[in-house]
Amino acid sequence: MRIDSVNPPIAVFLTDEGDVHAIDDTCTHQDASLAAGWVEDCRVECPLHESTFSLLTGEVDQPPAKRGVRVHEVELEGDDVLVELSDKAPQLPPGVTL
Amino acid sequence: MIIDQLNEPVPGSSLLSTPTGDAYTDPTIFEREQAEIFEKMWNCVMREDSLATAGEWKTITIGREEIIVVRTRKSGIRAYYNVCRHRGMRVCTSGEGKNKTLQCGYHAWTYALEGDLVAAPNLTSMPDVDRKEYGLKPVHVRTWLGYVWISLADDPPSFDETVLGEVKTRFGDVESIDNYGVENLKCGESKTYDVQANWKLIIENFMECYHCATIHPELTEVIPEFADGLASQRKNGEVHGASFGDDIQGFTVDGSSGVSSLPAIAPGQDRKYYAITVKPQVFINTVPDHVIIHRMFPVSESRTIVVCDWLFQPQVIDEGMEIANSVELFHRVNQQDFEACEQTQPSMSSKAYDHGGALVPSEHHIEEFHQWWAARLGGNVPVPA
Repeated sequence: MRIDSVNPPIAVFLTDEGDVHAIDDTCTHQDASLAAGWVEDCRVECPLHESTFSLLTGEVDQPPAKRGVRVHEVELEGDDVLVELSDKAPQLPPGVTL
Repeated sequence: MIIDQLNEPVPGSSLLSTPTGDAYTDPTIFEREQAEIFEKMWNCVMREDSLATAGEWKTITIGREEIIVVRTRKSGIRAYYNVCRHRGMRVCTSGEGKNKTLQCGYHAWTYALEGDLVAAPNLTSMPDVDRKEYGLKPVHVRTWLGYVWISLADDPPSFDETVLGEVKTRFGDVESIDNYGVENLKCGESKTYDVQANWKLIIENFMECYHCATIHPELTEVIPEFADGLASQRKNGEVHGASFGDDIQGFTVDGSSGVSSLPAIAPGQDRKYYAITVKPQVFINTVPDHVIIHRMFPVSESRTIVVCDWLFQPQVIDEGMEIANSVELFHRVNQQDFEACEQTQPSMSSKAYDHGGALVPSEHHIEEFHQWWAARLGGNVPVPA
C-alpha cells in the first residue's frame, strides 16, 4: 500500500510469502505508484512500463527505469509495521520534487 | 400497417412473400439492425474455456463495437468496451493475449482486469480522478451452456426470458435441452466460415428444410424425413425431433455409429436431431452423442462470420475417440448451406428480386422471423408493395 503521509511517499508490501517490505513508492522513470504494481519473487513491477525493483535492495532490472529506489528498514511489532526511513537521497523521476 | 402485410398471403396462393431484396443489401438497414438487434440483445460470443486462466483476454466485435472479454482473478469473466477512458485509443490492439493488467499503449493508462483504473503517469498527483468512474466501461456478461453471452444494452433484455426462455420453451419440458448437459461438454472441433451473405439469409436457410433433399445429400441420408421439406423448426416456434433413418447408426457423414450417447438424454431423444434458433445469432443442434452450436457475427450487409463448434463429452475428446465422421457431416451441411446463401446474396440487388421472393408452406414459419425482425426495427422495413 502507498503511504503518502511521508515525502516522498513510500510503498509497503506484504508478499505471498508473508514478508513485509518498504521501498519508495515512486518509480524512478516516470511518476507512477509502485504500490499499484505486481509483486512476484520479491520484486515489484511498475504498473506502467514493466521495470521491476527488488524489494530487498531496491535495484532495477531493466529499462526504462535506470535508477533503483530506496529501501526502508521494516520491523514488526505485533500487528504494527514500523518503518525506519532511509537517509539516502531519493531517486525521483523528472517532474516530481520533494 | 407494414408488418401486417407481411402476414397476409396473396389471396388464393400457397405462397407468402419475403422482404424485398434491399432488406439484404441496404447498408442503412444493416446499420439499424446493428443498433436495434445486435447492440441490444444477448450475443453468444465465445467459449468460457477459451479464457482458461486469469489475465487471458480476447477481443470481439458486437454490432459496431469492439469488446474486450477477460478472465479476472476473482470475479469470473468480465467484458468492457475496448476504448481507453483517457483519449480513446484501443486498449487491446491484438485479438487475444494474457496480461496482469490491461494497458493502453498510448499514454499507459492501466486498468485492473476488474476494470478499475489502477495506474497512469502522474495519477498520484490527480487524487480527484475516480478509479471506478475512469475505469473501462463495462458491458453485461452472462455465462450459459459453457459460453460467454454479452449484451451491450444499458438495460439489457431479461436473459431468462430472451435466451433461457426461448431455448427451454422450444425444446419443451420433456425434450429439455438440460438433458444434453451442454455446459459440461468439451469442444472437439471448431470451424470458422467467412460467408459472403447477409445474416438473415443464413437464419432463413437454417430455419427451413425445403432445400435439404436438393443440397444436403448426406444429411437427408441420415434423416430421410427431411426429404418432405419440413425442418426441425416449425410454426409457432415448435421444434420437431427429426428421426434418424432405420439403418442409420449415428449422426455421421456416412451413417456409421458415432460415440456413446450423452448420459442423460431422454428415450425420445436417442435417435433424433433437434435444431433451434436463439435470436439473433445462435443455432443449437442436438443429436444423441454431440451438440453443434453456431454463432454468427454479421460484418456487413453482405458478409457474416459463422463459428461452428462441435461439442462432445470430455472423455471423448480426452481419449482421442474418433469424431471426424461426426464433424464432417455438419461441416458439409455448413458448406452446402453457405454456398447457397452466397449464390443468393448477389441476386438480392437484382431488378428481378425487386418485389422479394416467396415462402412455400413448409417455409411459412420463417414469416415469424420476418415479423420479429420488422418489429425490432420499429417497422418501416422494405416489404413488397
